Amino acid sequence: MNDFFKLIWDYVLQFLGLFLKNWDAIPTETMRLLREFLAKLGALVGFTTPQWIIDAICALVAIVAIIAVFMIMFALMSVFERKILARAQNRYGPNRVGPWGLFQPVADGIKMLTKEDLVPRAADQIVHLLAPVMMVAPALMLPAILPYGHGMTAINLSSGILYFFALSAGTELAVFMAGWSSNNKYSVMGAMRAIAQMISYELPLVMAAIVAAFAAGTLSPDGIVQAQSGYTAGFLPNWYICTPWGFAAGALFYIGALAEANRCPFDLPEGESELVAGHLTEYSGFKYAIFFMAEYVGMFAIVGMFVTLFLGGYNAPFPFLEWIPSYVWFFTKIAAIAFSFVWVRATLPRMRIDHMMQFAWKFMLPMSFAALLALAAWHYAGRNALGWGLSAVLVAAPYLLLGRFCFGNRHSPTNRRYYFSE
Amino acid sequence: MHDLLQRFLSLPWDQLPQWLFLIPAGIMLLAAAGAVVFRNLIHCALWLVLSFAALGVLYMALGAEFVGFVQLLVYVGAVSMLVIFAILLTPSDEVSASNNPLVHFKLSSAVNAVIGVAVTGLVLVGLLAAIFFSPRAGGVTLPAVAPTLPVAKIGENLLSHTLLPLQAVAVLLTAAMIGAALLAKEDKRS
Repeated sequence: MNDFFKLIWDYVLQFLGLFLKNWDAIPTETMRLLREFLAKLGALVGFTTPQWIIDAICALVAIVAIIAVFMIMFALMSVFERKILARAQNRYGPNRVGPWGLFQPVADGIKMLTKEDLVPRAADQIVHLLAPVMMVAPALMLPAILPYGHGMTAINLSSGILYFFALSAGTELAVFMAGWSSNNKYSVMGAMRAIAQMISYELPLVMAAIVAAFAAGTLSPDGIVQAQSGYTAGFLPNWYICTPWGFAAGALFYIGALAEANRCPFDLPEGESELVAGHLTEYSGFKYAIFFMAEYVGMFAIVGMFVTLFLGGYNAPFPFLEWIPSYVWFFTKIAAIAFSFVWVRATLPRMRIDHMMQFAWKFMLPMSFAALLALAAWHYAGRNALGWGLSAVLVAAPYLLLGRFCFGNRHSPTNRRYYFSE
Repeated sequence: MHDLLQRFLSLPWDQLPQWLFLIPAGIMLLAAAGAVVFRNLIHCALWLVLSFAALGVLYMALGAEFVGFVQLLVYVGAVSMLVIFAILLTPSDEVSASNNPLVHFKLSSAVNAVIGVAVTGLVLVGLLAAIFFSPRAGGVTLPAVAPTLPVAKIGENLLSHTLLPLQAVAVLLTAAMIGAALLAKEDKRS
């Protein structure tokens, strides 16, 4: 027994010792210590611990850590979003529960848990129950491939980007299941709108991701982040957002991420003035909370993908800031982009459905092809004045042409046509 | 107690992954059966999607990660939506009325069952015959460890050995897309 406590004490000391050394390596070193500790613990009891048990425990620790971090981010986001929106509208926002209203998510959670779970009698009971599960499962699996820091990728897949988009495709099915099983016209219409929006915006989203993958020459998120390390001329980071084609693709990915996360100005599926609450109309209590949670975790995952693909992932923006640990940079960037999402929500009105579809198919899709062409020009001209100029022209010209000619002349009003009521 | 634990841990756990493939395979077969058994068309479509997803998991279990993800992306993401939209947009009473020539052949359920069993049996016998009597049967030795194919290798192969089929497929898909756009375009004359 004495040996047992000695072993634990030894490893606690080693863990604390990590904080005196390189902070950047704390998470990876902790996992290494855990592996060592488990092996020695087995030896202490009298048998060799099989490798698969060590692997399973380490995987479990990583899963718990990632899900806990994303849950805390969801809780903080739900209160800060309301705070920021309130500030934008000259109000105080939630400030009753806890200091500065910080415990608001706890109160919300208790309220949601104790609410009655209503299921309509005409609903398809099993599909109605399975829809939130189908929604939350892919959302919780998405963060697994994001590179959080140096060597901090939970699953380092060689086709990680594909994994990300393959899983997020499951969301459409969940939305359909929720809408159809509710047996409610508003629900079905909301679900159909949501699916149309997701499918339309997934194309430019994937095309923009392909631009980053082409530039790095790999589909692995960690490889893409490593390709963006270093600086041009000593100060400009080699992030893809800092190049003409990367700026175009990054902007497209940002807009696509807004639409995929059903955020304003693309929150038509939940347009409460027209559709009650879309596919969520017949959900209440904790099932509603689960939809909400899946949406926010999915949003953080896609923001993390945006940071990985275009904002240099865990790389520091300037050489003299490299002493700050890489994972701090990653989460700082996620927080900044999430803040900009809230800012956009506070600023822009909701789009009309036909404008939204036209924007996706007539503007964003051709622009993503233009970004790909600009990348090709950059690749063959090289990272010099010719490359910069050529790719800038290849991005700016389609932008101006599409903006000018695709949507007609906005200053001469014509009779409005309602395509859906004819 | 200690001895039991030691024996439990020394079981051949390394061979477990070889047998785990039975789980997605079983789910796939059951879901495929569910896709034809149920009366509600949407339920059938959902079972079909489950069968697609299980097939994707099966690919991944066999080490073909890339194909597995593409299976999920294309079938669970896109084809399932296509099937569901087709079901929802088709008026349900049209098929059962005079349009369907098969309706006029009113067969008893016994005859139906016999036909169903006969067709299924024929397909199964054909499959088994193809497996066992093909010239390569028995001569194929599988490698002990499933080979993993890097994504870059697939890309190189697509753009060198199979470049012509790839481009043919691209032309075909473009033609299909133009055709779809033409069908969906509103009629200016009316």
